[in-house]
Amino acid sequence: MSERVLLHVGTPKTGTSYLQDVLFQNRSRLLKQGISYPADRFDDHFLAALDLMRLRWGGLEREAVGAWDRLAERVREHDGTSIVSHEIFATASRTQVERALRSLGHVPGSDEGTEVHLVISVRDLVRQVPAEWQENVKHRATFRYARFLDLIRDPERNHRVGAWFWGVQEIPDILDRWGATIPPERVHVVTVPPPGGDRDLLWQRFSTAFGLDDLDLELGTKRANPSLGVPESALLRRINRAAARDLPPVQYRPLVRELLAHQTLSKRKKSPRLSLPPEHYPWVAELTEEWIAELEAKGYDVVGDLADLRGTEPSAENWADPDHPSERQVAQAGVVAIRALLVEAAERQAEAEQLRVKLEDARRDLLRARTPRLLRSMEWTVRRLESSEQGRKALDVYRVARGRSSRSA
Amino acid sequence: MSGGRRAWGWAAALREGSTTPWLAWPESGAEADPFADGLPGAQQLALLRRLNLAAEAQGRTVPRATADRVLAAGVSGRGRSDLPLVGDDGTRRFGPRPVDPDALPDDELLRVASALIADDVAATAGQPEPPRSLVERALGARRPWVRSFVVVGIQRRAEAVSEGLAEQGHRPGGRRPTAYLLADDLGAVLAEAWTARCFDQGGPSWVEFLRGSATFGHLPPRADLLRMARSAVERYGAGRVVVVLDTDALAAELGVRSLRAAPRLGANAADLVRRVGQPLGLLVAREDRPGLLRASLAPRLDGLGGPVPTVPARHAGWLSTQAERVHHDLAAADYPVLGDLDRLLPGPLPAEPVVPVDAEVLALALGLLLDPVTARPAKEGTR
Repeated sequence: MSERVLLHVGTPKTGTSYLQDVLFQNRSRLLKQGISYPADRFDDHFLAALDLMRLRWGGLEREAVGAWDRLAERVREHDGTSIVSHEIFATASRTQVERALRSLGHVPGSDEGTEVHLVISVRDLVRQVPAEWQENVKHRATFRYARFLDLIRDPERNHRVGAWFWGVQEIPDILDRWGATIPPERVHVVTVPPPGGDRDLLWQRFSTAFGLDDLDLELGTKRANPSLGVPESALLRRINRAAARDLPPVQYRPLVRELLAHQTLSKRKKSPRLSLPPEHYPWVAELTEEWIAELEAKGYDVVGDLADLRGTEPSAENWADPDHPSERQVAQAGVVAIRALLVEAAERQAEAEQLRVKLEDARRDLLRARTPRLLRSMEWTVRRLESSEQGRKALDVYRVARGRSSRSA
Repeated sequence: MSGGRRAWGWAAALREGSTTPWLAWPESGAEADPFADGLPGAQQLALLRRLNLAAEAQGRTVPRATADRVLAAGVSGRGRSDLPLVGDDGTRRFGPRPVDPDALPDDELLRVASALIADDVAATAGQPEPPRSLVERALGARRPWVRSFVVVGIQRRAEAVSEGLAEQGHRPGGRRPTAYLLADDLGAVLAEAWTARCFDQGGPSWVEFLRGSATFGHLPPRADLLRMARSAVERYGAGRVVVVLDTDALAAELGVRSLRAAPRLGANAADLVRRVGQPLGLLVAREDRPGLLRASLAPRLDGLGGPVPTVPARHAGWLSTQAERVHHDLAAADYPVLGDLDRLLPGPLPAEPVVPVDAEVLALALGLLLDPVTARPAKEGTR
C-alpha cells in the first residue's frame, strides 16, 4: 500500500502542464528515488479524471473507461510516495471525491491508511477569468468575452460555463470538497507568483510542495499551455463560428487547438494581452479578499503568499476588448494563420506523395512476390539480354525461332 | 434546531417514500440524524421525491435499495452538482447557491437518472442470450432456394428486417445478392437517423442534430439515401439495387408474410437513450455501447415516448430541397423501385413539431429506475 499520496487537484492555468510534463518525463528518475508518478502516457491522469467524474471530452472519454481504477491500483501497489496530478480534478463532486480518496487508501479521521496530501495551485482571478474564456475559445466556444463574463457572474450558475468555471476556480469550495476529511496541515496551497517575477519561482514552489527539492530531475521540458493575445483570441472565436461545426473533435484538436492556437497564434507576443475588463475588477477584488480570509482561517499550508491571489488591477488605458478588436491586428493574425495552414497543407501533400510512392513500391513488391520464380527468371534474362548488342541479337533469333515454332504449332 | 437535521429529516422521509416537497417540510419536529457522510445534493433528493410520486401513482413504493442508490448517485455531464437546499443551514459561504429542489429543471434530474440507468445498462454486459429453441433453430435454417439479397438503407429498419428474415430462414447474403434499399420520406429518414445515432454515439439533441445538418447544407450520413444507393451499387453492382418504399411489396418479393419492424421509439424515448448513452460511454468499451443499449433499452422503450420526432417548420425549406434532390437523383439513376418514389417527399410539417420534452423523458427514466433493466419488472417494494 502506498504510504503517502500527493494529490494535485487543480487549478487550471497555474502551470500544471509544465509540472505534469516534468513529472512524466522524469518518472523513471523519480521511481529510482522512491516516488511514483504512475503514467504510461502523458495524459493518463487526465483520462483517470474523466473516468472518475464521468466527463465527456470530445470523444477522449472513450479511452478513459476504467482509467481511474487502474491509476488508483498503481498508486496502492507502490510502496512509498505517489503523485497524482490533474487540474480538472478540481471540479469533482463530494461523492466523486469520497470515491477517489477511498480508492487511494485514505481513511477519514484516522492515522491508518494512506497519508493523503492535497496540493492545489492557485492564481489570481484577475488572470484566471480571461484565461478561462480563452481556454473555452480553444475548445470550440463561440461566445463573446462579454457573454462569458455574464455567465460566470450569474449567481445561480445555471449555465454549464458558469458551473464549470466556479467548479474549477472557486478555491475555498474546491478545498471544502476535497479537503473535508484531510487535516489542514496536509493541504498545501501553492500560489502562482505575480506577473513579471522570477520565472523559476513557481517551479520552486511546486518543488517544495511536492518534496522534490533534493531530487535529481531533468527540467527542460516543452509542454505548456500557451496563451493568446486579444486579436488572436478574437480570430480563433471567429474561426470557431465559421468552421467548428465542420470539424469533429479528432480534427479540431490537431488543426485548430494545436496548430493554429498553440503553435502559431500563441507565438505572437506583441499583440495586446487579454485581461480582465477594468470595470470587473471591484467584484473580483472583493471576492478575492473573502477567499484569502477563508484560506487563512482554515490554516492550510501555504507555499508562496496568499497575497499573490490579489492580482494586479487592470489598467483602463491598456485594456483591449476581444469583442471589438483592432481589425487590422485580427487581419495580421489571420494572415499568419493562413500561412501556417498552407505550410501544413503543403507538408501533408508532400507526405501524401511520399506515401503514394511507397504504396506503389509496395504494390510492385507484392506483385513480384506473387509472380512465379520461373517467370521472374525469364524477365531477368530478357532484361540482361536487352542490355547488350549481342544479347539483343540472340533475343531476335529466339523470337523468330519461337514465332516459327508457334506458327508451326 | 439545526437546519441540517431538518434537511436530514426530509431526506430520511424521502427514503421512506415521502412525497412532501422540501418547502412544505415542517420547520420543527421532523428532524433526523445523518444517515450518510454528507447530505445528498438537491438533484438527487428531488429525483427521489419524483420517483416516490411515480411509484405512488402505480400503487407501489420505492425499494429502500433503489432510494439509497438515487441518494448516492453522481450527476452526469458538466453542470452543477452538490447543490445545497435552500433554507438548509445557511452556513455555506462558497459553492453553488442553495436551491429549492422541487424547482429544479427536469434536465437537472435527468442528469442523475441517466447516470443511474447507465450503471444498470452496463451491468447487463456479459449476460448470456437465451438459447434458441429447436423450433427457432429449425425455422432459422437457411432455405437453399431463397434468392440472394441484402437489406440496406435506413439503419434501424434494415437491421430489424434482416434479423426477422434470418429467423425465417431468409438469411441475407449469398452470391450476387440484390440490395434492397429501405427508404421513406426524408423527415422520417432523419428521425430514424437521429434515433440510430442516439444508440450508437449519444450525440446531439434532435434540435441540435437538425440545426447542424441544415447548417452544413447536406444530409447526415445515416440519412443520405443517395450515398447509400451509390455505395450499394459499388458493392453489389449496378442493376442490383432496388429502392423500397413499400415494405409489403418487399415482403411479397421475398416470399414472406411480413417484415419485422424496428422497435418504435418516440422522440422522448430516443432522447432518453441518447442521455443514457453519454455516461455509458465511460463505463463500457466504445464498441459495446450500441449493442448494450439496443439489447437493454430498445425492448423496454418500444412503443413509448410519444410520437417520433418531426422536423420543425423553420427547416421546411431545407428539408424540401433535400428531399427533391434525393427524389430527382434516385429517379435519374433509374433504380428499380418497390412502391411510389413520391413517398420520398415529405408531407406538410405540423405547426407544432414533435421534439423531446424533458418532463416526458424524465417520466420514462423514472419507469426505468422503478423497474431497472437489470431485473424483471419489480414486485411491490418491501421495507
